[in-house]
Order: sequence, then structure tokens, then C-alpha cells
Amino acid sequence: MTAHAPDMATLSAYLDGELGISERRQLDAHLATCRPCALQLAALQALAADFAKLPQENLGFDLAGVIEGRLAVAPRPRGKPRTARWWGLLPVSLGAAASIALGVGMGSALFGGAAVTPRVTAMSVFDTLPPGGLCLGAESCYGKGARK
Amino acid sequence: MTTRTDDAEDERLAAQAQTGDRQAFTLLVRRYQERVFRFILRMSGARDEAMDLTQETFMKAYQALPAWRPEARFGTWLFQIARNVTLDLLRRRRTVEFIPLDTGLPDGAALDPQDAAPLPEEQLADKQRIQLLERALCELPVEQREILLLRELENMSYADIAAMLNIEAGTVKSRLARARVAVLAHYRHHAGEK
Ligand SMILES: [Zn+2]
Repeated sequence: MTAHAPDMATLSAYLDGELGISERRQLDAHLATCRPCALQLAALQALAADFAKLPQENLGFDLAGVIEGRLAVAPRPRGKPRTARWWGLLPVSLGAAASIALGVGMGSALFGGAAVTPRVTAMSVFDTLPPGGLCLGAESCYGKGARK
Repeated sequence: MTTRTDDAEDERLAAQAQTGDRQAFTLLVRRYQERVFRFILRMSGARDEAMDLTQETFMKAYQALPAWRPEARFGTWLFQIARNVTLDLLRRRRTVEFIPLDTGLPDGAALDPQDAAPLPEEQLADKQRIQLLERALCELPVEQREILLLRELENMSYADIAAMLNIEAGTVKSRLARARVAVLAHYRHHAGEK
């Protein structure tokens, strides 16, 4: 066999079990004899294993209970006609309100003061620190130059 | 990873919620809250914002529920909302670089396997690899970050990812491979750092 560059897209799809049967069999046979491809596959497998080892972040409270409280005071959704609703006024729904930060008050505004647990209140406090445990202090995280 | 039984239960609850059964919707929230939160957190990198956006995702899902159809897997539909809500945030932060990653490139092209050349095992300890992975996720273009999360953490099939991102399955394949190569290149690049 002539030297060749491993086809990363095919190896990656092989890893995901997304190849057709014949393509898969062909690659099985190839991997048995081609060291470069086998090494690349091993690298992809190791990466998948790393993903499985990422720390599992948790909400830390039962959001469903909070949502239940909010739904109790929210109008029941209907398919048609579409009328303006109070949450339609939120910046997020408008999408384009680039200048308005979501964080502070989003939770409290939505709750209208009702059914707010202390934990929920804490949620709307903006944290200017890097996300806990997620980032290793790289300033460029989540967009280079975003804060420059 | 969802099973067929999970899907059937989702469908049952969503159909019930469509009739106005708030408790059914609450159960759906409980089934998905941690996964949606983790996805948004990994996408946005900010815990407080991720909490807010997770709530927002479910409120939007509730409002959009009349439009949901059983043909669309509920989980995929929900993650689509979570993604949109998160992209809105990233746009407001003006940090999203929408680069047409896949245009003009055939499947598998422009992937330099050298970038992903395996490292000797001992060069990177487990802990270091995880840290590098987290950092790589931060720095990847959002298109690559999201597709990696959907595949590696959510275990979504290419078909589901394609439906969710509204792209071809072939694009899923090439974009995912490119994202993986990018992370491996990141490992490689930082292998010498301690
Ligand atoms: Zn080969």
C-alpha cells in the first residue's frame, strides 16, 4: 500500500458508528494493516474518553420547581394567533438588543417578585469572574478580544 | 444518550403538556434541566448566565410547545431552543465569529492529519489533557464547540445534529472531524507547556 494521509472525517465517522456497513468493513480491514490510520483513530478515541472525563457541572437546585411557579402565573400558550406577550419584551426575544446585558434582573423581572427562592435570586447576579472551574484563566476564552 | 423508551416518554409528556398540563411540562424540565444547563454552560462559559439561559430555554419551550410536532424528537427540539438562546447571548457579547467553516471544502478536505498526530501517552497526563480540553473548548469557534458538545456530551446522531443545526449530514461529518482535529492540535500545541 502506498503512503497516504489518513482521512480524518472518515475515521471520525467510524468512531461515531456513522459509516455504512460496507465502508465500515473496508475500514476495519484497512485499520488492521495501516499504522498511521490506526494511530489517528486511537487519538480520536482518547479525545472521546477525555470528553467523558470532563467535570460534570450541576445546576445545584431543582429548576423544574421554579419553572412550575413561573408557569402558574404565565398565560397558557396558544398556537395562533400570536399576540405580544410580556416576555416578548425581553431583550433575548428581540435578539438584537445588543447593548442590554441579560444578567441582572432577568430572573427577577421575569418572576415579578413571586415564587422567588433565594437561590434563584442569586442566579441573576452577574459574575465577572471566569466561569468556575471551566476556564483556566485564558483571557481569550469565549471570544478573542471581547473585553478589550 | 437517549433511548427509544426515553423518547416515547418525552413524546407522551410533551403531548400532554400541549393540552395545558403544566405538571407534564414540569416533568420534562426535570428530565432535561441538567443536560440543557451543561450544554449552555459549556457553550457560554459563564455559570450565572447559563442558569438564566436554562430557565429562559424552558420558558421559551413552553411558549413554543403548540408548534412542537412529534416528528421532531423533543430533546433535539429543546436543544435547538437552548442553542438559539445561547447564540443570542454570544452575539450580544459580540464574541461569536461566524466563519463559514465548511464552504467550498469537500468532505474531509483541509484536515491536516499532522495536526492530530498522536502524542506519546506519557507526554500528557490525564489531568492535563482534561484541562487542555476545557481550554480548547473555550477557544474553538462556536460552530466547532457546539458540534463537539452535541456529539461527545449529548451523544446525538449525525442525523439529529444535522436536523438541529439545519445542515447536511455530510457537513456534520466534516465539521465534527475538523473540530476534533482542532482540539488534538491544541493538545499538541500545548504539550510542551507545563
Ligand atoms: Zn491508512
